[in-house]
Amino acid sequence: MVALDVGAKLHESGKLTAPIKSIQDKYELLPAFLKVRGLVRQHIDSFNYFINQEIKKIVRAKGNEKVTCDSDPNFYLKYTNVFVGAPSHLDDYVVKDITPQQCRLRDMTYSAPITVDLEYTRGKEIVIKKGGRNPGEGAVLIGNLPLMLRSDRCVLKGKNEKQLAKLGECPLDPGGYFVVKGAEKVVLIQEQLSNNRIIIDTDKNGAVTASVTSSTHERKTKTNMVINKGRICLRHNTFQEDLNILVVLRAMGCQSDAEAMLHIGCEPAFEPLLAATLQDARQPGQVGPQRATQLAALEWIGSKVKQSSQSRGFGGGQRRAGSSTRSRTDEARDLLANVIVCHIPCPRYDFQEKVIYLAEMVRRMLLAMVDPRHIDDRDYYGNKRLELAGGLLALLFEDLFKRMNQELRKLAEKDLAKRQSNFDAAKNIRPEIISLGMESAISSGNWTIKRFRMERKGVSQVLSRLSFIAAIGMMTRISSQFEKTRKVSGPRALQPSQWGMLCPADTPEGESCGLVKNLALMTHVTTNDEEAPLAELALQLGVQPAAAVGPAERHARGMALVLLNGSIVGVHRNAPALVDAFRRLRRAGLVGEFVSVTLDGPTVHIASDGGRVCRPLIICDAGVPRVTAVHTAKLRAGDWGFRDLLREGLVEYLDVNEENNALVAMYESACGPATTHLEIEPFTLLGVVAGLIPYPHHNQSPRNTYQCAMGKQAMGNVAYNQLNRMDTLLYLLTYPQKPLLTTKTIELVNFDKLGAGQNATVAVMSYSGYDIEDAIVMNKASLDRGFGRCIVLRKHSAVVKKYQNRTVDRIVSPSQAGLDKRRRNREGLLDTDGFCSPGEVASPNDILVNRQTPLNTKDVVPGMGHGDAALKDGDYKPSPLAWKGPPGQNVVVDKVLLTNNEEGHTVIKVLLRHTRRPEVGDKFSSRHGQKGVVGTIVQQADMPFSERGICPDLIMNPHGFPSRMTVGKMLELLGAKAAVCSGRLHYGTAFGEGAGLADNVGSISETLIQHGFSYSGKDTVTSGIGGAPLEALIFMGPVYYQKLKHMVLDKMHARARGPRVVLTRQPTEGRSRDGGLRLGEMERDCLIGYGASMLLLERLMISSDQFEVHVCTHCGLMGYYDARLKVAVCPSTKSPDHMASMKLPYACKLLFQELQSMNIVPRLHLAEA
Amino acid sequence: MQRSGHRRIPQVDVRKLDHKYCEFVLSNTDASAANALRRVMLAEVPTIAIDLVEIEINTTVLNDEFIAHRLGLIPLVSHAVHGMKSVFEGADEEDFMEVELSLSVRCMSEGTLDVTSNDFLLDPLHPEVHPIGYVPPGQPVDRSRVEPGILIVKMRRGQELALRAVARKGIGRDHAKWSPVATAVFQYMPGVMINRALMDTLTEAQKKDLCASDPSHMLEYNDVTQQVEVHNVEAYHYDGECLAKAVEMKKEGVLVIKQLQDKFIFRVEGTGVLPAQDVVATAMDVLIAKLRNLQEALPQDDEAG
Repeated sequence: MVALDVGAKLHESGKLTAPIKSIQDKYELLPAFLKVRGLVRQHIDSFNYFINQEIKKIVRAKGNEKVTCDSDPNFYLKYTNVFVGAPSHLDDYVVKDITPQQCRLRDMTYSAPITVDLEYTRGKEIVIKKGGRNPGEGAVLIGNLPLMLRSDRCVLKGKNEKQLAKLGECPLDPGGYFVVKGAEKVVLIQEQLSNNRIIIDTDKNGAVTASVTSSTHERKTKTNMVINKGRICLRHNTFQEDLNILVVLRAMGCQSDAEAMLHIGCEPAFEPLLAATLQDARQPGQVGPQRATQLAALEWIGSKVKQSSQSRGFGGGQRRAGSSTRSRTDEARDLLANVIVCHIPCPRYDFQEKVIYLAEMVRRMLLAMVDPRHIDDRDYYGNKRLELAGGLLALLFEDLFKRMNQELRKLAEKDLAKRQSNFDAAKNIRPEIISLGMESAISSGNWTIKRFRMERKGVSQVLSRLSFIAAIGMMTRISSQFEKTRKVSGPRALQPSQWGMLCPADTPEGESCGLVKNLALMTHVTTNDEEAPLAELALQLGVQPAAAVGPAERHARGMALVLLNGSIVGVHRNAPALVDAFRRLRRAGLVGEFVSVTLDGPTVHIASDGGRVCRPLIICDAGVPRVTAVHTAKLRAGDWGFRDLLREGLVEYLDVNEENNALVAMYESACGPATTHLEIEPFTLLGVVAGLIPYPHHNQSPRNTYQCAMGKQAMGNVAYNQLNRMDTLLYLLTYPQKPLLTTKTIELVNFDKLGAGQNATVAVMSYSGYDIEDAIVMNKASLDRGFGRCIVLRKHSAVVKKYQNRTVDRIVSPSQAGLDKRRRNREGLLDTDGFCSPGEVASPNDILVNRQTPLNTKDVVPGMGHGDAALKDGDYKPSPLAWKGPPGQNVVVDKVLLTNNEEGHTVIKVLLRHTRRPEVGDKFSSRHGQKGVVGTIVQQADMPFSERGICPDLIMNPHGFPSRMTVGKMLELLGAKAAVCSGRLHYGTAFGEGAGLADNVGSISETLIQHGFSYSGKDTVTSGIGGAPLEALIFMGPVYYQKLKHMVLDKMHARARGPRVVLTRQPTEGRSRDGGLRLGEMERDCLIGYGASMLLLERLMISSDQFEVHVCTHCGLMGYYDARLKVAVCPSTKSPDHMASMKLPYACKLLFQELQSMNIVPRLHLAEA
Repeated sequence: MQRSGHRRIPQVDVRKLDHKYCEFVLSNTDASAANALRRVMLAEVPTIAIDLVEIEINTTVLNDEFIAHRLGLIPLVSHAVHGMKSVFEGADEEDFMEVELSLSVRCMSEGTLDVTSNDFLLDPLHPEVHPIGYVPPGQPVDRSRVEPGILIVKMRRGQELALRAVARKGIGRDHAKWSPVATAVFQYMPGVMINRALMDTLTEAQKKDLCASDPSHMLEYNDVTQQVEVHNVEAYHYDGECLAKAVEMKKEGVLVIKQLQDKFIFRVEGTGVLPAQDVVATAMDVLIAKLRNLQEALPQDDEAG
């Protein structure tokens, strides 16, 4: 508080009443921040934490470190160290270094070996294996870990642009994803409720409940405190029923109810609330006073344990053996010690800390009952934790590591049971358990963790490479664990506590609206920080251990409870002083920069756990920002980085909880004596994707949200290495531009280097009627000159397989003679080597790779493997890779790649290219959620023109504006027009007009007037068709337009006749199968209503689905035609008599037959015949 | 043909004329005629442009279609177009229909090599068809004086581009690459009428205000005569600012501004393919040919009725 006091005095004395000079270029902090942190730093940090620290902790954890076995008590295997090496790959028994680009092209996994140092017994001797061939490497391989790009072990780490180019990597690519089996996979950030924190909530009846999800390395359990019939009870799913909390406390060693009450607190308001609980605890039928002893209480609790959990045991693998003989008392004690609120340690069954913790839970409940304001908000973002790739992989790794050790023990058990076994444990470690487990989890996205019984789907996703922004947007995405189907608005709503941490605009529409979120520009997600030093520090700063203070004193006025990551450290007499001391230490760099200290009523929360969201803010002393122009000048000159600001204590990270103790001023002008912090820049509250929108603060908010969804579908450039990639589908714009009206975010994320759109001159007017309903009219000459032109690249791949019988697929040169003309035509693209040659134009059904497969791939072929002459040409059947496109669409072979994949198969990848110019029906959008399709394309001569000869590239209907209220788009047009005139890019950064990060309308209009335009952006325009001047002035200027990936060419579909399904003889379904267009029930109703029912009969039955059957008039069953007798016969009597023939729909016949197969006999009674 | 009482004789008054730019005033006609002329200049004056590209070698970063599209947009000097026939007009083998250019560049040096329109090898039969600003390869280039040529693609060491390009005659309606002009526009001559009587009721300050209100500075206050004078009528772009000012001064009608319906200022900016003068002249010819065509197609009921 000292600094604050001084500041306050200064303020009073009038020294600071002089107007505060604004910090020059406060914005400069942002590029400095992004230079240090990058856009996807949270992913990389969490992964680095995993490979550098957490993996060591896991391997050294109590349950993991040592593998022992029952059959030989002397046997042990101890892991002494673990290392994650450099990315490499075993190629023909040779370890080779790999790069990410190689992995992408060769369908490999970019992974690094995990190696360990070991100490174990082999027979009588103790073997110590230490160190590998290279430093930083262990002796024994235990598995391969997919590496995150740009993490500490990645080859790309710390490389400059030139070196990256040499590795085939784009310098603008942010990294933070994995390459698994050639596919780029992102582990999405997962949001969940924080662990180890008491959360007070209400149940569906409105009763107050308290719950804690305790999470330790071994176990994850949820303990609830509920009100049952007026009593406060403990609820846990290992117990059959709710347990009176007083009995539980007794079982934990409280001598009397009075002591328990003292722990809870004796405020007068609590008395009536606790009466029922007390009474129940003394009831003779249940736990009368005679059971008041700890032992009796434990026995009673033991009787309530669920049978299933009794038999299952809960002490982990090793302890399971003796569980059958244990008494109920022991069992109850074990449960209380290890399962209930398991994150509170309970050394040697000393329950004291647990008693205090449970009492605190009860106390919080009672407080909430007295005053509902104490009820926590589940959606409050301070109660949320984000799980990142590193954390999720750590969970997975520990599970797989345990499984590997179990397997090892099983093997040891079996082998050591034999006499004179010389079991070498190091040779029996199976690395594929971890390798395959990791690889399959990341590539499928299914995270299965056995010990937590966790099963999550869709954790990892393929990195979207539709555009550069789509890829970056994916890296900042947060997915919530909440079910999408539940109809509650709470978790979906924008929470005030998300301010500055999550982007308020970037969320999808529809079912996952509000559940999928995106990080704001400056958000950082913390990683775990060591707890022990913090607890030690707290004690040194005057915290008294809770157990050392009497319960009555603990709840005394002025005493504050100190919690470290949700566990009680102790109490302190002067909480503000403690908090202040902690913060000063943090600013001095003596405590981790991400440790947060919050004073919340009479409680001090110290948090150092991972997954908290936080953001940097400028520290103010009594309203005077510590960052001054001197510092920003140093930043600009490059002498200082963001780290220096942190080190000097000018800037600090605040998490959501600590923000509650701060008064953050938006602008310097708003700083008052109570202000503690200053925002760095307001526009950082938006995310990366929303940052592309110019003037978003002038738009109606949902429009920004729409643009966030569409910005990810815009075509443009993907990366600098885009032409060397082999993506399944890649959309590129031929002439992408940087927007004339840009924002600071665009520059920071390099969107100006990898743009996705073009500056089109837009006239806002109605024209031709082909522009209704958001359609746009395009200028043909603009399209001729390359506007909206795009390249679609599609990959087709074939594998040359090796079979069990040692036969191999082969690729042969095209056959010259002996084939029919059609086949020869299909082989037109092929070179003599059997591959299509780049630059050739392929039409549908053309063969790209002339592959042949052996007819026999199962049985042993004599002589196989000794030269390839064993199979003759006749032993192969053709299995070519052909291009199956719609007729008439001709594509060009762009590239052919031949390589080996990890299994040693030859992989052939063929990239087909299609250049498209916009056509009617293609989708375009501006950056303001204003999408539209091309309605018509008009000759330039027919387009309206201004007197200067400016002719619009596209015309947009003015009806798009009033209801959408996208004022930002109008400002963009105006600003871009001024940018064109003046030759200077204009800015439209969010909330930037005040700070000079956005050009305001006034100055834009002045620029326009200077260059002879109207200040309003309107022009006098003459009709191109008739030459008459238009009466209205037309709002015309450049707007950045994006071409979206939805193009008619990929969607249009029509069919007259075509394929049918074999079973039903109905037309196939869907465009991909050239399916029919369904005339559904409603359409049928229309025709009947119109009176054209005979048309239906004729079209749907007689001309299409008619089928003739033979019916036996006696039994009513459908008969069949006997080809030998040349008559129709009855199926039951086999006689040709009484057979009649009739016509019915084939579907009807099928129905009858299917009914028959289910033992239902439909009989046909014919009126005639 | 003479039906109405008087026949208008359109007048052309050329103001500025150089190779690429032509400005003239067309008067004594109506908007439809002016617009027809503009449309023809944009879309129907034939020129020569590359229409077919056969790529032999392309190891550059840009793909074949990309380069072909860029080649098409290179303006070729099209004086020869008059002797040519387009694909639609051509009848027999002897017709002059195609000009064949070729390009073969290989980058042997470190650093980037710009492949420009100057790297083209011309058709020996038709050397007059060449990209604008063409300097034959090998000839010493005075970089300071000559434009560097139109960039086609950039190359790095080892990359190569070899192709054969066929240029044909065509019109801008088929593809914008055949359009001979960058812009061809006309402007209605504004007619500004000052109500002197009403103007005299204004104070000097008001007059000055009125002049200042127009962002295009069409009006000027003459300090000597103390009159508001029309200074640069063509600069006016109908934003209505001075009229609004007049209304604000409660002097509505002090200015009346109309677009004159029979006087048009044409501005034609050529691409260099044809001299601007030629563009206008050819456009007239095309227009006349069209009218003649129409006349021939119409039933000749003049004599009958």
